[in-house]
Amino acid sequence: MKPAPFDYVAPTTIDEACAILAEAHGGATVLAGGQTLLPLLNLRMSQPFILVDINHIAGLKGIARVDGGTLIGPMTRQCEAIENTALQQHLPVLVEAVRHIGHHQTRNLGTIGGSVTLGEPAAELPATAVALKATIEVRSIRGSRNIPAADFYLGPYMTVLEEDELVTGIRFPDWSPGHITLFRELAQRPGDFALVGLAGALSIESGKVARAGLAWFGMGPTPMRARAAEQLLLGQSVHEIDPQAVAAAAINDTAPFDDQHASAEYRRTVGARLFASTLREAIRVREAA
Amino acid sequence: MSAPNASTGNTERTAVADTAQNGATRVAGMGSGRYIGKRAPRKEDPRLLTGRGQFVDDISLPGMLHVAFTRSPIARGAILSVNTEVARDVTGVHAIYTQQDLAVFNADMISFYLVSPDIKTTPLADGRVAYVGEPVALVIADNRHIAEDAASLVEVEYAEEDPVVTIGDARSGPTVHPGRDDNISVQMGEEELDEELADKLDSAPHLVTQKVVHQRISQSPMETRGVVATREGAQELTLYITCQSPHLVARWVSLALGVPQTAIRVIAKDVGGGFGLKNHPWKEETAVILATMLFDRPLKWIEDRYENLTASCQAREQEMVLQVAFDNDGKLLASHGDYSVNNGAFPQLSECNIAVHMFVWAAYKMPAYGFLTRGWYTNTPGYAAYRGPWGMESLIRETALDVAARRIGIDPIEIRRRNLVTLREQPAESVMGIPLEDVTPAECLEKLLEKFDVGQFRAEQASLRKEKRYLGLGIATYIEPTGAAGAITTMTGELAQVRIEPTGKVTATMSTHSQGHGTATTMAQIFADRLGVPYEDVSVFEGDSSRGGFSPGAAGSRQGVIAGGAAIMAADLLVSKVKTLAAHVLEADPGTVTIEDAMVRIEGSPEKSRSLAEIANIAYGEPDRLPAGFESGLEAQYRYQPPPMTFSSAANACVVEVDVDTGFVTILRWISSEDCGTAINPAVVEGQISGGLAQAIGMVLMEEVGFDARGNPVAATYKDYHLPAISDVPDFEFVHASTPSQSVGGMRGVGEGGAIIGVPTLVNAIADALSPFGEVPVELPLTPTRLLSVIEGRDLGAKAGSETTAVMASQPGAAPVDATPETPVAPPQATAEDATEAVRIDGDWNMALATPMGAQEMTGHFETSGETLSGYLASAEGQMDFTGTVAGNKLQFDLKVVKPMKITLKYNLEVNGDKISGKCKMGIMGSVKVTGQRAT
Repeated sequence: MKPAPFDYVAPTTIDEACAILAEAHGGATVLAGGQTLLPLLNLRMSQPFILVDINHIAGLKGIARVDGGTLIGPMTRQCEAIENTALQQHLPVLVEAVRHIGHHQTRNLGTIGGSVTLGEPAAELPATAVALKATIEVRSIRGSRNIPAADFYLGPYMTVLEEDELVTGIRFPDWSPGHITLFRELAQRPGDFALVGLAGALSIESGKVARAGLAWFGMGPTPMRARAAEQLLLGQSVHEIDPQAVAAAAINDTAPFDDQHASAEYRRTVGARLFASTLREAIRVREAA
Repeated sequence: MSAPNASTGNTERTAVADTAQNGATRVAGMGSGRYIGKRAPRKEDPRLLTGRGQFVDDISLPGMLHVAFTRSPIARGAILSVNTEVARDVTGVHAIYTQQDLAVFNADMISFYLVSPDIKTTPLADGRVAYVGEPVALVIADNRHIAEDAASLVEVEYAEEDPVVTIGDARSGPTVHPGRDDNISVQMGEEELDEELADKLDSAPHLVTQKVVHQRISQSPMETRGVVATREGAQELTLYITCQSPHLVARWVSLALGVPQTAIRVIAKDVGGGFGLKNHPWKEETAVILATMLFDRPLKWIEDRYENLTASCQAREQEMVLQVAFDNDGKLLASHGDYSVNNGAFPQLSECNIAVHMFVWAAYKMPAYGFLTRGWYTNTPGYAAYRGPWGMESLIRETALDVAARRIGIDPIEIRRRNLVTLREQPAESVMGIPLEDVTPAECLEKLLEKFDVGQFRAEQASLRKEKRYLGLGIATYIEPTGAAGAITTMTGELAQVRIEPTGKVTATMSTHSQGHGTATTMAQIFADRLGVPYEDVSVFEGDSSRGGFSPGAAGSRQGVIAGGAAIMAADLLVSKVKTLAAHVLEADPGTVTIEDAMVRIEGSPEKSRSLAEIANIAYGEPDRLPAGFESGLEAQYRYQPPPMTFSSAANACVVEVDVDTGFVTILRWISSEDCGTAINPAVVEGQISGGLAQAIGMVLMEEVGFDARGNPVAATYKDYHLPAISDVPDFEFVHASTPSQSVGGMRGVGEGGAIIGVPTLVNAIADALSPFGEVPVELPLTPTRLLSVIEGRDLGAKAGSETTAVMASQPGAAPVDATPETPVAPPQATAEDATEAVRIDGDWNMALATPMGAQEMTGHFETSGETLSGYLASAEGQMDFTGTVAGNKLQFDLKVVKPMKITLKYNLEVNGDKISGKCKMGIMGSVKVTGQRAT
């Protein structure tokens, strides 16, 4: 279990990294925290010609409050995100999601950008980025663009990222103070990929849902945005919400599959149930507050 | 997870207590004295816990090169060509071998019983491949990176054929091995149910038919397989290999390679788990050893985890149907078991697990039992042992008893009390003829119930059900044959060699081997205890075939029982030597000499006390002071031959909660009540039980080696092969019954029990929790999908792997490939010859008996005179005469044997031309196939 031969480069600036990616014409793979990539290299499931190590680029690290939101550098370690007070205050769903990634040891090296960019459909962060309506900032020698997370994922490990593009930031908009937070993950053991997972946020203004973001993980080939459920919730009074009905709408936006850990029907059945109970509990907590 | 909380899944379980460490604190300051029964700190731990252990991958030799394998990407097919040209050109590649190159050695890949397998098994694929991952070519290179690069460049052209993956495929599909009639690797018992037994089953007031499907398991030792091989001159071979017994590996290699054993040294200082996978080398290790001999440079191969999960031998994958008849009081009347096991393509032994039938009702008052047992070849990695290989007997019996209890309406504890053979009822004999003298499952159960208030639990269970919370109690009992010696070639006694050094310290070399068993600790406790020296003064060496003597090592829960007895006997010999010498030197009566705390004392004469070192110095260095005829030095050895079998017993209880929203199981409490006789070190005993129970939890809830319809493994990493983590294993509670056994020291084996009894205990607890919803089909693992299907009363969907059967069944074109090639003498023609009295029976025949331990070869000599038959059967083990009858081409005769047990073998054979075939009925053991041809 040794990787196939590759060239290794460790640029120190974003421009340098983009130049290398452009020159490689698809033959390069970016190394962030390596918690997924290194096993893939060792299994020879990934065989790049050039490994571009972006761990030495200072400009890709850190968490900053920006106008109307939070900008997270892709090389921010998952353990740093958990400890960050700004995130705890503004993006509690994101912090909860990061807590569920892998294990304590893997979170020390694993990065926010690595997980968002890889696009594992059963992983926590891609779905959380979709639910929280994050924007993924990418750069290449051709220029920059901002891609809504909901448009970023194409299939398992497949995204709209071009071969010369580098993710330079993930921008999460602020949700109104006191927004309703939803997060639930069902996994066989701590650290396993989800059999069923969901993340979401509801902004409440004058007692009504003003903004809704909901997405599933482990429930299809990509993070699955629950658009119909979002629509159903918008404008509803909090006390009028029928969690069962919202869950039924949400489960319609999934496309789960059979694997050796759970059947598609299991995922649908338990998914709808967990969605309803998570929403019910979140509303109960809010109304009690 | 006492309250349903699906977001964290099974994460809130408590961690298992480090019993060994707790024990260590208790033993501190104990000083010298009685060590047997104490929680002595393990001698192995300081080096293992500080990263100073020596495993195979820690070995690096001058000039050593590295090996990687090119493996088959298909499950079944012919190899059309192998092209190594491109791979050879890689810089750093030294050689690439295929089976053609290794064939010069003609290695005989024998089984654990040292018998040649029924099907030719070669280190590398020989013309055909029979499972995904089968090694096809071996690459030798400067390092593993280069070796893997080159291995991926070896071009192999295959003609792929439809594979036989499941037991179902094997029953109806093409033959895995060309030239065989079917995919049955071995069969015993009767295909048709005995009429008398059928009547008993049919006429019983209650008949329970229990089906169990046990998934395939990867033994998953923490240290994967690996070998460093080096030739030390033309005729010497040193192997560093991770194994369960360096002595058995040396013996195996010597026989398999046809090289003298004296020139083979096998070293395995520390081993990171074996669990049955490392009994002896198999394809890859043998290929590396042969390549070393061919290339004459030290070679290293370390199996990576991907190889271990996909291409190593694997275990379990069994299906069994057990019919059990009860009267209206829940008493057993009769039973029948039909068992099948997937042996893969190249099993380490053709297994039909006769032990399942031997032990299924051994501790129960069962009047009648019949069985059929079969092993099946498939295009999957071969079968190897796994801790408690016959565990199906406990799983199916104990779950069937609970189903029966629910159906008849009696308590599951009561149904066991009514049927278990109690100590007072012994000696007794089981339905399969096993003598029972001191088994104690009934007593373990009563001890367990002293610690667990069933009434209180039932009340709690009933009240929680009203809140839609579902708790369940699982109870199971079992007995386990341990410390077997004498009936099987490799299952020998154990050797202890011990000496008091001139320094007064004690050094022992043992035939034992530890893969985490702590034998260097437990044996040191025995020596310290019996010799009267501090535990710290004793060093035990093992793990090197040039030390100690032969034993199979860790196999069959035997080391504590047999090596423990050997250590006691050797120590006692040495004590008597010390006493003789001390009495002579100190002018005292030997009966007044005592040894305690490494001091030799004479009763009543404190001034004569001498340190053991002083006495030892005299023994080694002052021959003039020795008594006449006294052998100088202080050394002793003893090879202990124990009773043929020593039984351990246990009863376990487990409480679970099943979340009916998700089908997730949380283990709330687990009590183990076992009887392993004298517990040399209770912490080691509890460690063994805990590890086995953890593996049981894995088997019931999460582990599974699966294949898709093409025979591709679907769990190739630990992301998909789920082992229980510390968060999945509860804090076990222990009760020790400690009934001394008949063996020296009174020990009983305890290595495998947890992995056996844990499985039915947990299944029963889950079934009890879900009993309001219906019976839980015992198809392991009990995934959340399967349990939710029971809870909701609908099938939530098969998992991906189980489409296999359907795919195979939908291929009508897959006719048996060997339907035509073999052309035996056509039976009709033979019958015609028979009519004209042309049947030639007289003379010598080469015959083979297809037993579960491998083909037993023998020569049959027949002489006919009218209807009378006489002659003999001769094998390596001797010759036995018989007389019988002849009718046309049919022969009948009986042979009485006493080994391994007293049985009458009834032969029914038929001669057709130059071929002979038929059956041998081995008493209660059922029938096996006999084949052969006329000797030329």
